[in-house]
Amino acid sequence: MKKSYLIKRIIYAFFIFLIVMTLNFFIPRIGVVDPAERYYPPQGNMTEIEYEIIKQFTREQYGFDVSNFQQYLNYVSGLFQGDLGTSFRSGNPKVSQLIGERLPWTLVLSVTNLLISLFIGLIIGTIAAWKRGRWQDTTLLNLSTISMALPAFFIALILSFYFGFELEWFPAYTNPNMVAQFDWSWEAIRVVMYNAALPIVSMSIGGIIGYGQGTRNAVIAVTNEDFILTARAKGLSRNQVIFKHTLRNAMLPIVTSLGMSISGLIGGAVIIEQIFNWNGMGTLFLEANNTNDYPLMMGIMLFMSAFAIVANLVTELFYSLLDPRVTVGERR
Amino acid sequence: MKAKAMRFLKLLGNRLLGILRAIAGFIMKLWRHPKGRVGLIVVTLLVVCAIFAPLIAPYDPYDVTQRAAKGLSPSWSHLLGTTITTGQDIFSMLIYGTRVSLIVGLVTGISIAFLGAIMGVIAGYVGGAADTAIMRTVDVMLVIPTLPLTIVLTNLFGKSYLMIIFIFVLFGWTGLARVIRSLVLVLKNANYVRAAELAGASRGHIMFRHILPGVSHLLIMNTALTCAGVMIAEAGLSFLGLGDPTAISWGKMLAEAQGGGALLFGHWWWIIAPGIGIFLAVFSFMRIGLVMEEILNPRMKQSSSIYKIFKNLNNTYMEEVFASMDENAKLGLTLKAGEES
Repeated sequence: MKKSYLIKRIIYAFFIFLIVMTLNFFIPRIGVVDPAERYYPPQGNMTEIEYEIIKQFTREQYGFDVSNFQQYLNYVSGLFQGDLGTSFRSGNPKVSQLIGERLPWTLVLSVTNLLISLFIGLIIGTIAAWKRGRWQDTTLLNLSTISMALPAFFIALILSFYFGFELEWFPAYTNPNMVAQFDWSWEAIRVVMYNAALPIVSMSIGGIIGYGQGTRNAVIAVTNEDFILTARAKGLSRNQVIFKHTLRNAMLPIVTSLGMSISGLIGGAVIIEQIFNWNGMGTLFLEANNTNDYPLMMGIMLFMSAFAIVANLVTELFYSLLDPRVTVGERR
Repeated sequence: MKAKAMRFLKLLGNRLLGILRAIAGFIMKLWRHPKGRVGLIVVTLLVVCAIFAPLIAPYDPYDVTQRAAKGLSPSWSHLLGTTITTGQDIFSMLIYGTRVSLIVGLVTGISIAFLGAIMGVIAGYVGGAADTAIMRTVDVMLVIPTLPLTIVLTNLFGKSYLMIIFIFVLFGWTGLARVIRSLVLVLKNANYVRAAELAGASRGHIMFRHILPGVSHLLIMNTALTCAGVMIAEAGLSFLGLGDPTAISWGKMLAEAQGGGALLFGHWWWIIAPGIGIFLAVFSFMRIGLVMEEILNPRMKQSSSIYKIFKNLNNTYMEEVFASMDENAKLGLTLKAGEES
């Protein structure tokens, strides 16, 4: 990988972050003169004077008492010191602190889901490509068309209904004490796994089939290449061709879709979290929405965007390491 | 003056006839394909349900005053039972729910096709600053998480399906524009385009008369797949309560079922019914899209590009960046090869 390419990509990613950050600053200010009004809409039982006082307080508290440009500068300088803003919740916790509390719980779901999907998907996809055109392959194809048409939250509802309410094997709602009582003991980890089972399964059904179909397509695309023909003509066994020549080259598109999944790790489970009452970023965002907590909402959004930018950058660089051809087109 | 107007009308009529003929041809091709026929029949059924909903539905689904009929199990008088909370007839709600899904899906799909085609053709054909501007915009759009942004915007401007359609279109055109752009870059060097340029045709003329028809098959196919993806996404948003609170939609039915105790009391039909609705609508549109691809591009059965387009619009919105990254990489290669030869 060329150094200039690396630097160029990093600068470009930073440039995109600046744009997203600016948008993030202006979106809650669309159409209002006084941000305090948006951040604290008038309540029914409030007199005009009371509301004025509250607005004045909000302005001072959240730094709206200076010009828009100055606010933007404060916002940017705060961001680069790691300050995502202050939430409206009681006690005015920092947004970054709230995110820090919830992020691990979302990652428990999404990372486990990703690993399961990737692992089982790779195996299933290779088998399907191996048995191309036989029942294993057609079953996967049919399953993938069906699973693409079924929303994950519908699967989640069905699972929660059958395994949560009918059989009572797994909790249909997350135990609210799970987060508070977590202390890294085996018992606590077991409780987390027990509570996370249904959300993870409902997320990974689509993921497994998606990765399976993706792997299958990638493997078959490579199988049609000339060097595979050469390898077979050399007299290598089918197994050797598949594991030594085909799978290695089929990794490229799989890395691509892995990169996509990684950038969706934080925000990809909003609905599933809501169904199972899981204490993650998705529910945090919905709570912020219900209380009109704009600093929190925009902070989470910026965090998600930044995560996506970094994930994309890393995948892109990783991809160019795997496939040296990528940098060729960028040279000029 | 009159002659000119007549000529214009005649031209317009010919164009419209041409478009109608093309659509009819597509439908005939779909009908001849066994898988396409299934999709076509289901879509027709859904459209009929949506248009004639008041005639088909046995009860008024908005009627929440049926206190005597709360939580009934499926029977001949209530095919899918009634809701536990308000006693609404679930079968009638299912029929009315078709409307939201189809309208949101079709309007978004068609708008995305228009916007994506225009942006992609301009980026690909005009190139230069326009290309850079459009592609940079795409890059920014791709990293903004769509679902949270939708929540923020509905919070700011009120909940409605117009808002949802607007956001879907705003974010949906990016993937299509990329695909179209890469195709246009190839078409740009085709002999007939060169010939038109030499003959002195204007840029606009070349773009919309010569290049656009070359990518139209992709557009038609993409519209069907976009509809399918948008329907799933819409169901998700309605489930979160971001749709129009007064309309009946399948996603909202699922949310009501969850909130109204369908899980607790074992009323599985209340959950299954809207789920089947979503499944049928998405599945049939997807089938049509995939069959179209097979018809138009018989060499690439189950190609990954279409899979990607669909996947992009599916629940995880942020994923688009890398979908076309390897495409761009390949494009870089072909361009370079082209420059050298």
